[in-house]
Amino acid sequence: MDKKYVPRITSFLCKWCSYTGADLAGTSRLQYPTAIIPIKVMCSSRVDPVFILRAFLKGSDGVLLGGCHPGDCHYETGNYHTRRRFAIVKTVFESLGLEAERIRLSWISASEGPKFARVANEFTETIIAMGENPVKKKIFL
Amino acid sequence: MNDTERSAARMRSPEGIRGSLHDFLKIAVDKGAVDSVLAPVKVPAENSYAWILMNDPAVIESASPVAPVMPVQGAKALKSLTRKGKGESRILAVMRPCEIRAGIELMKLNQVHFDNIVLVSYDCPGAVPFQDYVKDPGFSEESFGKMIASGRPGEENIKPACGICTEFSIVDSDIHFGYFGVDEGSAFVIPVSEQGAELLDAIGLDRDAKIADWESEISSIRDKRTKKRTETLSAAGERIKGLDGLINAFRKCIGCHNCMSVCPICYCRQCYFDSEVSKKDPDFIFEIAEKRGAMAFPRDKVMFHAGRMTHMSLSCVSCGFCTDACPTGIPVAEIFSYMADITQPTFEYIAGKNNGEPLPLRKFEKKELPLVHEIVKSAEGEEGSDE
Amino acid sequence: MSRITLESKPSDGVRELLRHLLDKGKVSAVLAPRRLDDEGSLDLGFITDRSELDSIDPFAPVMIANTAQVLSMITPSSSKIAVVLKPCELRGFVERVKREQGTLDNILTISCTCGGVFPLQKAVDGITGGMTANYYSDLSSEKIHAEIRETCKACEHFIPINSDVTVSLVGEKDLDENCQIYLNSKSASELLEGLGGEIDKKEYDPAISAGLMKKRLAEKERLFNSVFPGKGGIDAVIEIFGKCVGCHGCSRVCPICYCVSCDFESMNFDSDIAYYEKELSQKGALRLPPDTMLFHIGRMIHMSFSCVGCGLCSDVCPADIPVASVFKRTGDKTASIFDYIPGRDLEEAIPVMVFKEEEFSRFVDE
Ligand code: SF4
Ligand code: SF4
Ligand code: SF4
Ligand code: FES
Repeated sequence: MDKKYVPRITSFLCKWCSYTGADLAGTSRLQYPTAIIPIKVMCSSRVDPVFILRAFLKGSDGVLLGGCHPGDCHYETGNYHTRRRFAIVKTVFESLGLEAERIRLSWISASEGPKFARVANEFTETIIAMGENPVKKKIFL
Repeated sequence: MNDTERSAARMRSPEGIRGSLHDFLKIAVDKGAVDSVLAPVKVPAENSYAWILMNDPAVIESASPVAPVMPVQGAKALKSLTRKGKGESRILAVMRPCEIRAGIELMKLNQVHFDNIVLVSYDCPGAVPFQDYVKDPGFSEESFGKMIASGRPGEENIKPACGICTEFSIVDSDIHFGYFGVDEGSAFVIPVSEQGAELLDAIGLDRDAKIADWESEISSIRDKRTKKRTETLSAAGERIKGLDGLINAFRKCIGCHNCMSVCPICYCRQCYFDSEVSKKDPDFIFEIAEKRGAMAFPRDKVMFHAGRMTHMSLSCVSCGFCTDACPTGIPVAEIFSYMADITQPTFEYIAGKNNGEPLPLRKFEKKELPLVHEIVKSAEGEEGSDE
Repeated sequence: MSRITLESKPSDGVRELLRHLLDKGKVSAVLAPRRLDDEGSLDLGFITDRSELDSIDPFAPVMIANTAQVLSMITPSSSKIAVVLKPCELRGFVERVKREQGTLDNILTISCTCGGVFPLQKAVDGITGGMTANYYSDLSSEKIHAEIRETCKACEHFIPINSDVTVSLVGEKDLDENCQIYLNSKSASELLEGLGGEIDKKEYDPAISAGLMKKRLAEKERLFNSVFPGKGGIDAVIEIFGKCVGCHGCSRVCPICYCVSCDFESMNFDSDIAYYEKELSQKGALRLPPDTMLFHIGRMIHMSFSCVGCGLCSDVCPADIPVASVFKRTGDKTASIFDYIPGRDLEEAIPVMVFKEEEFSRFVDE
């Protein structure tokens, strides 16, 4: 049972910034955990907040949402909306006592390979410390 | 299958039919005859049941194949699983007769795929009205327990639809558990289809029991039920007679459309009556109000209910879910069953039979429906022919 | 801003007011709760003929359908319409108007300080004389009536926000011969000119109903602390919604859920059987139909900040789930992060439609 538990972190990354940032981390040979499962989206605002919920309820141990820094969104204001929606999801989670720490929003630009690696490592550590998502075992969902 | 040669296996359990069915599920999975089971399991708060697809032995252990209450129509559970086509694994589904019949209608509507599904039905004592159950699960469990131990169909504390159900026993499933009138703790396991017979063989249940007594018991109960159904429904028919009768029957309706959304037959994602098409221009609504001095909201109640009858009563299996879901206590199922018992015989159609008959509206014959002919002819007589 | 005092029962006063509006041609139609029989059946009458006004029971303590939804069907209207509705129905409609589901132009809104309504089932079974008698005396003495709905007991918005006309019921003595009508807008004053009664320049003073407010706020706290089990978590969510039958009645009657086709009923969440087979192999068991918790938590994410706590979702739930209490409890939190009060102000944008450049840093790694 020594084998280190590898969580699954569903990561919605916007094509223009965060996904490219993740790519850069890769090509610069920066280590980031295999727990991260990247999903490319056109903009962080393409992610209906219910996607985050669904990933969580389907048993993702963590859900990461990555977008461009404020002001840099390819679609100008997409990420400002993302931030508001994300605030709602977090608040709903908190109000229901669901583990809100399992969902995270980060601004990561195309040139921030190191930041991506840091966020990925940090988040993975947090999730490992929290253990498996208990929702995974629930059958009455 | 030739009915006269029907032979069955016999199972016994101290817990009666509930025990036998439960044992049967476990054996079927243990012996690898099926990969998983679809059956009701009590929810954690112990105030209802949910359909659970399971292969984990611990969960199967906790299953309640014969639940006192029907929260979701089993055909809907099957639909969510197989709407897009058949699967690779073999699934054993235990359902009430009306749920299987609804499943068969949904199959004809291309919403359910039965391949690889083994359907198990049982003599159904009826179910506790859902709204009663959630208000007092303890009492309902107890009264249902007694009912099922009696080995006879229930009479008290069951849904009104169950009290007048004539299809409470063997239906076009694969395997049927018959126990009405059979000695206590014992049930006949009757193969209904080839697939069912093969499964019984696979798990090694010998078929040496004679079931003639059980068959005559069922038909005598059915006779009584048929009489009660006819009486109840014709009284309902009297009540809804004419436009005023219909308006009065639904006067408490708030237009929530719960009745439609829990109906297994109403499978449309977007109900016509909720769609943009049935919306009216505000000024048009005002004109109607002005013409009559007043109009009522929620509007279009009769349009919705009578319209739904025309859309689906040919397939109505009288499962009673609509009544269960109505927040204002309207006996929706009684009214729809009344209608079904008129529309289905008109087409010599029985909803829920899997005998290769297509849905009545999917076919026609050049000469049929004498009643309609009469009407058309007399209309032609009045207007004269075009030619 | 003025007040008219009539020496009559408030319901008679309002009928008189509506007759005045129709007779003088100041409005062309009236939308208001209407009594259908002695058994307690009601509907919303959309009335153009004054003789039909007699059956109107403006403050019947029931909510047979949400007036906000009905207003979406009858607006925009080229004729002027007077509407009698509960404060939460008005707030619900304001939320709908923000979503372009109708308009308040050409509408005169008449509301009251609201003592709450009875559960739908009790209402349709016929309101017994006893229950109603009590109801009106409790209004005067600012008590929370014992039989009204859970969500009404905990509602702090019983004073209408932005109604053209407010009839004061809560905390008013002698409701048999005392009808206090506050005119809150210019159009109300114009339309009601010549109604008669005593006129003065008073505005509604919340002190009149402060006693009830105190009780409601306390009840709200009690409800929100008790409706949701323990510290919450997924088990608590399952405990509450586990018995849901998936009828989605709660969303269909909700004034906020205006989508003709709900996301959670769409093909978006449909899966092949292979998907379920895979899930089964991982979990050993799964619920069908799937996504019950997804529906409820998802709906909270989509709309809770606009929830007006009207309670209709609980009313129609055949599984007797306290849907409204749970939604309002979460809704209070999601609205508060935006300092938003649903239905407060037509000009106040829906939180998800606008943003500030600098905000919510606590939710993001910047
Ligand atoms: S469930 Fe009852 S109230 Fe709702 S639409 Fe059907 S008949 Fe009307
Ligand atoms: S009304 Fe009740 S049973 Fe129906 S979907 Fe909503 S919570 Fe579930
Ligand atoms: S969620 Fe329930 S209480 Fe809130 S606005 Fe909708 S129907 Fe009313
Ligand atoms: S394009 Fe990156 S957040 Fe919009």
